[in-house]
Amino acid sequence: MKRVALLCVVILILSGIIPSETAKVTVPLRFDQYYPLEMVYEALQALHEAYPEQTNLEIVGNSEEGRPIYAMTVNIAKTGKALDKPGVYVDGNIHGNEIQGGEICLYLLDYLLGNYGKNEEVTQLMDKNCFYVVPVVNPDGRYHFFVDANTSSSNRSLRIPTDDDHDGLVDEDFPDDLDGDGNICRMRKKDPFGEFKTDPEDPRLMVRVKPGEKGEWTMLGQEGIDNDGDGRVNEDSEGYVDPNRNWGYDWAPPYVQSGAGEYPFSAVGLKAMGTWILTKTNICIGWSFHNYGGMFLRGPSRKGVGEYPRGDIAVYDYIGQQAERITPGYRYMISWKDLYTTYGDSVEWLVQLGGVYGYVGEVFMSESETFVTLEEEQKRDPISEGPMATMGRETRNRERLDYSDHLAMGELYKPWEPFKHPTYGDIEIGGWVKMSGRLSAPFMIKDMVHRNAMSVIFSAKHTPEVSLDVFDVQKVDKNFFRVRTRLSNARAIPTMTYQAQKVNLYPKDILKVSGSNSKVLAGGVLTDPYNDRVNYKKHRPETQFLVVPGFGKVEHQFLVEGKGNLTVLYESRHGGKLEKTIQLK
Amino acid sequence: MFAYLIIALPKTSEFGKMDFRFQTIGFTVRFSSGYLMGIEVKMKNFRWFGWVFGLMTLSWSLAAEVKFEKYHNPEELKTVIQEIARTNPGIVKIHNLVKSAGGTDLDLLEIGPEVAKKEKTVPAVFVAANMEGIVPLASEAALFLVKQLIEKAETRESLSWYILPCGNPDAAARYFARPLIEDPRNASPFNDDKDDAADEDGTEDLDGNGLITQMRVKDPEGMWTSIPGNPRLMKKADWSKGEKGQYKLYPEGLDNDGDGEINEDGPGGVNIGIQFPHLFKFFTADGGLWAGSEKESFALIKFVSEHREIGLTFVFGRANFCLAPPRGGRKGEADLNEIKIPKRHTGFLNADPDKTYTMAEIIEMVKPIVPEGMEVDESMIASFLGLGALVNPLPEDLKFYKQLSEEYKEFLKEKKFDAKRLDPPPDKDGSFELWSYYHLGLPSFAMDFWTLPEIEKEKKEQEITPEKLEEMSDEDFIALGEEKIDAFLKSVGAPAQFKAKQVIESLKGGMMDTKRMAEMLKKMPKPPSEEGADSKEEALLAFSDKELGGKGFVEWKPFKHPTLGDVEIGGPVPFTDSTPPPEKIEFLLNNQVPWIFEITKKMARIHIAKTEAKRLGSDVYEIKAWIENTGYLPYPTAMGQHNKSILPVIVTLTGQGLNIVDGQKRSLIPAIDGYSAQPVTWIVRVDNPAKIEIKASTQTAWSDTKSIDLGGV
Repeated sequence: MKRVALLCVVILILSGIIPSETAKVTVPLRFDQYYPLEMVYEALQALHEAYPEQTNLEIVGNSEEGRPIYAMTVNIAKTGKALDKPGVYVDGNIHGNEIQGGEICLYLLDYLLGNYGKNEEVTQLMDKNCFYVVPVVNPDGRYHFFVDANTSSSNRSLRIPTDDDHDGLVDEDFPDDLDGDGNICRMRKKDPFGEFKTDPEDPRLMVRVKPGEKGEWTMLGQEGIDNDGDGRVNEDSEGYVDPNRNWGYDWAPPYVQSGAGEYPFSAVGLKAMGTWILTKTNICIGWSFHNYGGMFLRGPSRKGVGEYPRGDIAVYDYIGQQAERITPGYRYMISWKDLYTTYGDSVEWLVQLGGVYGYVGEVFMSESETFVTLEEEQKRDPISEGPMATMGRETRNRERLDYSDHLAMGELYKPWEPFKHPTYGDIEIGGWVKMSGRLSAPFMIKDMVHRNAMSVIFSAKHTPEVSLDVFDVQKVDKNFFRVRTRLSNARAIPTMTYQAQKVNLYPKDILKVSGSNSKVLAGGVLTDPYNDRVNYKKHRPETQFLVVPGFGKVEHQFLVEGKGNLTVLYESRHGGKLEKTIQLK
Repeated sequence: MFAYLIIALPKTSEFGKMDFRFQTIGFTVRFSSGYLMGIEVKMKNFRWFGWVFGLMTLSWSLAAEVKFEKYHNPEELKTVIQEIARTNPGIVKIHNLVKSAGGTDLDLLEIGPEVAKKEKTVPAVFVAANMEGIVPLASEAALFLVKQLIEKAETRESLSWYILPCGNPDAAARYFARPLIEDPRNASPFNDDKDDAADEDGTEDLDGNGLITQMRVKDPEGMWTSIPGNPRLMKKADWSKGEKGQYKLYPEGLDNDGDGEINEDGPGGVNIGIQFPHLFKFFTADGGLWAGSEKESFALIKFVSEHREIGLTFVFGRANFCLAPPRGGRKGEADLNEIKIPKRHTGFLNADPDKTYTMAEIIEMVKPIVPEGMEVDESMIASFLGLGALVNPLPEDLKFYKQLSEEYKEFLKEKKFDAKRLDPPPDKDGSFELWSYYHLGLPSFAMDFWTLPEIEKEKKEQEITPEKLEEMSDEDFIALGEEKIDAFLKSVGAPAQFKAKQVIESLKGGMMDTKRMAEMLKKMPKPPSEEGADSKEEALLAFSDKELGGKGFVEWKPFKHPTLGDVEIGGPVPFTDSTPPPEKIEFLLNNQVPWIFEITKKMARIHIAKTEAKRLGSDVYEIKAWIENTGYLPYPTAMGQHNKSILPVIVTLTGQGLNIVDGQKRSLIPAIDGYSAQPVTWIVRVDNPAKIEIKASTQTAWSDTKSIDLGGV
């Protein structure tokens, strides 16, 4: 019976009914696994084939090793052209090892496209906005992270050969996967003078010895060999050029900002991204997903850049505080203050030079890997702030190992195993594996991608929704009229950021009043309709420049001589195009 | 220009044969109708004539028939460069970096012994000229340098040169266009006034004189007034001194877009000269979006970064680091000896927020906290604490800049080329010369070649004042002499007829005495004051009057402006304060450009001074090598050392059957000062007699190899 069953399974696999490891990606996408680079490409293709009318798939540029960077634009053509609608930008995986951004982007696309026409809110959202999604900004990084042996933090960089250890040789000392298990773990050696001893609670772990206590183990460091014979191990691997430090705004050289690269946009893929993004003049909100820590960060990325205007902070707070509720545990914070100073990062560039409201999402909290009852959890100390604080806590390691044992069947940790090292002799290799620490176990992916996509969707709900109203027309004299217009925004995001207004980054919204048989003699912002107080514009009154605030309005008054039709035209990068025609008679 | 010979009339087969022969010499000459230069030549004389003519043109091309009696426009520049490359194929190569925003090629000349090589083995000097596009003299200087390099083979024997004669061709073209306007922006469209159109309101030559100058309009809100003592010039009225403003000033032009502003959105663009990453200023009128956001600057940054053999840079423009060191005194410097640790980090670092620490101390504090294997160095601490970039030259580097500027002044003095001129303007933030020093860590020099001559302020004759005159006797006064008396009369504003001669006569004749004169003079109104005049503008006027026949300044003339009404158009002529008359070019360049060769002679040069092998045991030796820098300049600069942009000297020891017992196969020497040496030692063991080789190599300071025979008898 067993043999027959086995045969059946084999036949079924061969006939493709039971999907095997290399099955084709289908829509709707699945989110119980991480997507290696090729699968991301396949998923994008599958989405585009399933929704050819609503999606546009293009290659923005290529990486250093020639891999394409794909962008998918989602726009419902029947409600307008892409550039005429507010734009929502989402990217992921700028750091090669921070792969979850890829899954979040794919989930967002899959969810939106799959629910268009079925869920009313989603339908309205997609009719209003245009979405630009770049799941993998660093394809070389993603590729090598999956395919090569890595720690959870390695392969972050771009593949730009750099002499990290300043010895005249370039990228000559990569980590080595000595035991061939696909992970770069740690090495230890038995040593009575060592600083560590086996943890009495779990032999797989170690604890520090107390002063005077006999030692057992010395930690040798990261798995590897001194490839270039300079006495250091693994000190010059790929790059190191941090793709999130190479952007053109507030860039600083490597001695100030480690990993900045030689000059702004020296990375070919990033330069292509920068050029491409600036052509999408309608982008008003942007999200960039990284790992880890559980945060939604707003800028500025460095104190010296200067705090954002109050009007912008209000918008950031409005969305950020909601996001904290969509993903409880994640904290909405300020980049330079609550995390650390950075120069030349992508989101600050978006904010300052793109005029966008930009967020960094740092997903996944290792604190979620618990092994306690609800009561035990509520009783213990709150987890302190900052990424440095969770390092090296022995009780935490035990709990994580319990989690790994019972919820991931031991997959997150490699027990110590002996190995013969060419330099150190008899050692042992073991520790936390690549797909741990910064990445959740696969069963938690769906929750993570859905919640983060919902934060993006919440912000997309609040892109500007502008209405144009000619709310008062008064005949002052035979051929002379007073016309009042109102532009109102029902949502939180204004039609231009206050920061962009402050530096005059690009032209404001335009309100143009014209008629075939009339002339605008005066026009300006109506500050007090009851007392007829107007800030009249000195020149060219028929063309007004303005910004419509979030949850607010702006009113204008025009004095028009003539009669007949009068057209009021509104054009805005982020607020779309509106037109109203009235008759003056 | 070069002549081309195309034998146009193959009337007989004889001509055909001639044609071929001329072509093998490598040049051709264009003519028509069988006439050579309008002279009918008999067939039998032709061959002789042809050879002589041919040799003449050949020698012209070798000497690069470039003359320095005018400014080359972009087309002429391109032609000259191409011809130079064509006639010197083994030593000159053109790199076409990129096309400017306006479509002009940015051509970079490579001159040296390795033009055909991809892997460079000798260092290079990089010269960037006219980066702002408004200094035509700088482009001429670059051409002059190219000519010198070709003529003097010793300057390019073991040194390559990269020369960019014009870094901002779009802007440079404006010097040759009319109306003449001085504007450093390239041709990228840019909506300066952020209205609904780009580049819609530029300048207009309203008075049709081919120059864009200024307009002044009488306006009750006007803040400017003309200077009484020098009425062509204007100054801002100082109400506290009782001065009233009369005029508003505008650049010459119309309000094309009817927005109330004049010429606020001209064509272009970005000033390439301030597009470089060090101290790049964001959100300026003409700096561009970010450092390298324009094609011209990005291509240049990329090229320089890819050519690590560049060990020295020069910029020809308006700033000058040769006469005086690059300036310091900028705020925002990271002082590495007194670092305050921000409160949010003092907790886990166990540091005192009120104390300052040195970099070394902080490194020691951080080491035990970071995960193993993570390198803790200055750069990591600097970025973690947000310390920022260095913005002032390091003291060690200022030493050589100072010394070299003294030597340069001597150099010029010996040539009697030290007439007083206005100080060159200071270097600009975001310029190439600053980027080269602060980011690339290279000895970076900037050179300008001309500024307006300083005017000699006539010293007021302090000897005589109306007060002193009272005390003087008639005889003493006469004894001063006519010259001094004339000067005195002028300084007190005496009417023109009042000459010294008459005064002396009247004193002698008793019709006047000093006391009465003094009283009269005291009562006279003071001469119009020249106070408030800008010294640069005064110098411009003086130069224009004296040497340009007044052509450097347009006299204020009335004009009826369509929107402003009655205006006056006039003002300094563009380029007058930066670009001398063409007759001066050769003289200026001849005296100043050669200083560059003095500096290249001082480049750091790595050399193995001495090697020593001491036998310690049967086949064990102690090897010692002294690696020296035979050049004056340090390797690398202090800045290059601090920002780790220059590699150390790499010393390698190789040999057959060589075992290194103590020491490194590859040793790194981070820095060697000028005229200094550092030893490297090894203890080695050889099985058999062997020849070992010690190599000290750098990319920007040459390399050296020495071998030692070990073992044997």
